[in-house]
Amino acid sequence: MGPEGTRSLDLSATAVDSVGRPGPHGSGRRRFSLAWLGVVPFFAYATAFLILPSVVVLVGAFKSPTGSFTWDNMSEVIHTPEYRHAFRTSIELSIVTAILGGALGLMIAYAAIRPGTPRSVRPVVTTFSGVAANFAGVPLAFAFIATLGFTGIVTKFLDEHLGINIYEHGFTLFSFTGVAIVYLYFQIPLMILVIAPAIDGLRSEWREASSNLGASSFQYWRHIGFPVLLPSVLGASILLFANSFSAYATASQLTGGSVELVPLIIGQNVGGDVLSNPQLSQALALGMIVVMAISMVLYALIQRRASRWIR
Amino acid sequence: MEDYQEQEYEFWRKLDDQMDRRRLLKRGLAAGAGLTILSLSETALAARQRVTATTPPLRGRDVTVKEMVAEARKEGHLNLIATPPEWANYAEIIPTFSKKYGIPNTVDNPEGSSGDEVQAVISLKGQSRAPDAVDVSPTFAVTPANQGLYDKYYVTEWKSIPRAMKDGRGYWAADIFGSMAFGANLSVVPSVPKDWSDLFNINAKFALNDDPRKAGTAFAGVFAAALGNGGSLNDITPGIDFFAKLNKAGKFQAINVTPQTVASGQTPVTIDWDYNQLGYKKTYTNFTWAVSIPKSGTYSSYYCQAINATAPHPWAARLWEEFLYSDQGQLLYLKGYAHPARFADLLKRNVVPKAQLAALPALPAGGVKFASLAQQNKAKAVVNAQWGPKVLGA
Amino acid sequence: MKPRISASAVIWLVVGTVYFVVPLIATLLFSLQSGKNSSYSLAAYGNVLRDHTFWSTLKLSLELALETIAISLLLLVPTVYWVHLKLPRIRPYVEFMTILPFVVPPIILVVGLLQFYNGTFRAPLWYLENPNYFLTSAYVILAFPYVYRSLDAGVRAIDIHTLTEASQSLGAGWRTTMSRVILPNIRVAALGGAFLTLAIVMGEFTIASLAAFFTFPTYIAQVNQEKIYEAAALSLVSFLITWAAMAGLLLVGRGSGRGRARLAGGR
Repeated sequence: MGPEGTRSLDLSATAVDSVGRPGPHGSGRRRFSLAWLGVVPFFAYATAFLILPSVVVLVGAFKSPTGSFTWDNMSEVIHTPEYRHAFRTSIELSIVTAILGGALGLMIAYAAIRPGTPRSVRPVVTTFSGVAANFAGVPLAFAFIATLGFTGIVTKFLDEHLGINIYEHGFTLFSFTGVAIVYLYFQIPLMILVIAPAIDGLRSEWREASSNLGASSFQYWRHIGFPVLLPSVLGASILLFANSFSAYATASQLTGGSVELVPLIIGQNVGGDVLSNPQLSQALALGMIVVMAISMVLYALIQRRASRWIR
Repeated sequence: MEDYQEQEYEFWRKLDDQMDRRRLLKRGLAAGAGLTILSLSETALAARQRVTATTPPLRGRDVTVKEMVAEARKEGHLNLIATPPEWANYAEIIPTFSKKYGIPNTVDNPEGSSGDEVQAVISLKGQSRAPDAVDVSPTFAVTPANQGLYDKYYVTEWKSIPRAMKDGRGYWAADIFGSMAFGANLSVVPSVPKDWSDLFNINAKFALNDDPRKAGTAFAGVFAAALGNGGSLNDITPGIDFFAKLNKAGKFQAINVTPQTVASGQTPVTIDWDYNQLGYKKTYTNFTWAVSIPKSGTYSSYYCQAINATAPHPWAARLWEEFLYSDQGQLLYLKGYAHPARFADLLKRNVVPKAQLAALPALPAGGVKFASLAQQNKAKAVVNAQWGPKVLGA
Repeated sequence: MKPRISASAVIWLVVGTVYFVVPLIATLLFSLQSGKNSSYSLAAYGNVLRDHTFWSTLKLSLELALETIAISLLLLVPTVYWVHLKLPRIRPYVEFMTILPFVVPPIILVVGLLQFYNGTFRAPLWYLENPNYFLTSAYVILAFPYVYRSLDAGVRAIDIHTLTEASQSLGAGWRTTMSRVILPNIRVAALGGAFLTLAIVMGEFTIASLAAFFTFPTYIAQVNQEKIYEAAALSLVSFLITWAAMAGLLLVGRGSGRGRARLAGGR
């Protein structure tokens, strides 16, 4: 109960576990081992409903149709140009929507939270974001077709009132660009939800102090604002990357295959009418997991750094 | 396994072609004698099985209708899958069945694909929610049958189903067949295309129903384009080339077609099975929907009924098939603009109401030709390899 | 002197509003066109609200959402508390587990669950056939990342060691400490996690569809293939219902008087 760092901001990452350290009579060891029981339910649940089912399926990535072990599926994924292309397109799309979604989400979140904006704006923005972040699939695809499709209201407006026919200029909703625009509809809200607490961590005192010391707004952002926010922003962007990479429903509704994405190929093989190669789709899924695992490791590392600044 | 299948198809088709009366009689007698000898033990077994009364029969003829209905009603339910109401009049067929026999039904995932159906058979095995019977495209009838997922069953009307549309071993049989047809929203375009070349002149972008590497209907659309542009059942490349040309001319969009995209004017011209296109007239109520069969060639295929080997309600499944293949069931399909499998037989016996017969879509000019499984697989491999690079430029 | 809203904030909020609201307006306009020759009519909405499947699937999905929230909190609140209090060293592993659901695509999860519990290991039928058991167990996994983050941030924002020790030194047992000291203080964080869980369950399609359960999202997908204007009306109605449920949760959270609600936790 003394000044053992119970109040320090470093409670998070590397704090000494002041309660759990071994006591003078060795009774601490017993206490420590019993303490593990407290997390058993969680690990048991995760193992039973996440790890084991995933392993059961992904083992199939290494099975041949006759059941024997084989590298064929994985090698097919790596060597077929179509699949490599799909991975590349998926990664590119995810990076683009993560960066754009991250930047736009940050701007909108900051606009909603910063001092000066009416207090009622934030709950509206955050509840709307909560809904929009999961508004995907057919409704979203059609909403955008009704907006930017051939007979969409924005298309018509631009054509009739401003004389600009976007389709004549080569725009189409069913392309990489179009899909990216639609994906932003759930990427931006996710960013807003995730970055809001980080923005909360930007103390207004810092802003006041810096302006008292004569710094301009630009200088504030460059030396204080962005450095503080950057780890959280990067971490959130990786989350957006993962979200976009595994998105399936919207792209499958929006494009009839015109944009090659990995989840779409998996969907073709698992629930489609034409192809049927479950082992291959499992190998593709394993590839997806590898990509995502890498991005998640990066996320975890960056989060470590970010958590130091936010209470 | 698949070569065997191809040979079987070829054998039966040759049989149909070369049959004349004498040969038919001779072969029939020989077959009859052989089958009688071979099946004696089976009949005995079946008779023994009838005594136990809980094992579902192999043939519809082995039990009386009353017995089957009683056993099915004991089971108390029928699980169907991927049979949407707007498809070939299922909206009427399913409730008629339930009302007639007093067996409630559940339709799971009505808009699902054939692949989804087979996946459900595998995933839900042993559960009371597993599908009892499936309605799938030929690929998803043959391969799962070879994997033991389906049960053998010969409906009472088995004989009048054409050879080319059923599995000799009894694992599946076609319920309906149809051909690809164009459809057009006349509030957006002035008329429906009559032929493939018209697609270059419409003031809209044509849309296949979905990605042909994924959706059976879209794949059939590509095959239809092939047949209408110099290809054959052995060669689907002209179809792919046609869509590549159409795309370059700016008259093609690769998008998933839904009723909303048709109504909103995004995809005013589509291609789909003729019975579906005609059925959509009921869906699209606030504009005129016109349908036409492409003049220079189109693709025909059938859908197959099969019974889940581990069906939770095996008697109900068999009763369902008996209903579908009875005159009543087949005529209900016909009312939904689909050619029922026993169409030739129904025509011969003059049981088709004149008005409904007139409303049926015309059969393709050269007659109905189905692609064999080997031809389909070859075409699928070609589409899978070439669709992306040639048409989508990817 | 209260600061006024800055110009750039206004610009960004307007841009955001336009981008998010215009597609909804497009859907709204389309849903109203069900009259003859695309004249305006509210018929689509009437058809949706009169469809008893709409209500039954909505009820099921809301049930599933509440059950998922309950089980996630039941599982994760003690875990987060315990990890912070006694086992800080194990936190990276717990975090990793809660991040895994992002990594495994839902289609693999559902196929895996069915293969494992209906194949490798015969689970009892009451588990497999009842969405309230099967789907909820999968949805809890999907909610892990969000609920954990919120709770983690909430626990970090309060001084859990001091609170626990103070409460214990005053003679309270574990149960009292939990229910009267800790829980009220993380109530807002828990609500934040509940928020996102609700949205996830109301929008989850893949798992429900492949496991052959008829939930609200699968109903929406079905209507989209079968009906025209009702589909557009339905997507708007579902959007509004989910938004209303969120606002409801928010009000409940506000009621506990913790000031500004933290909706995604703080990290």
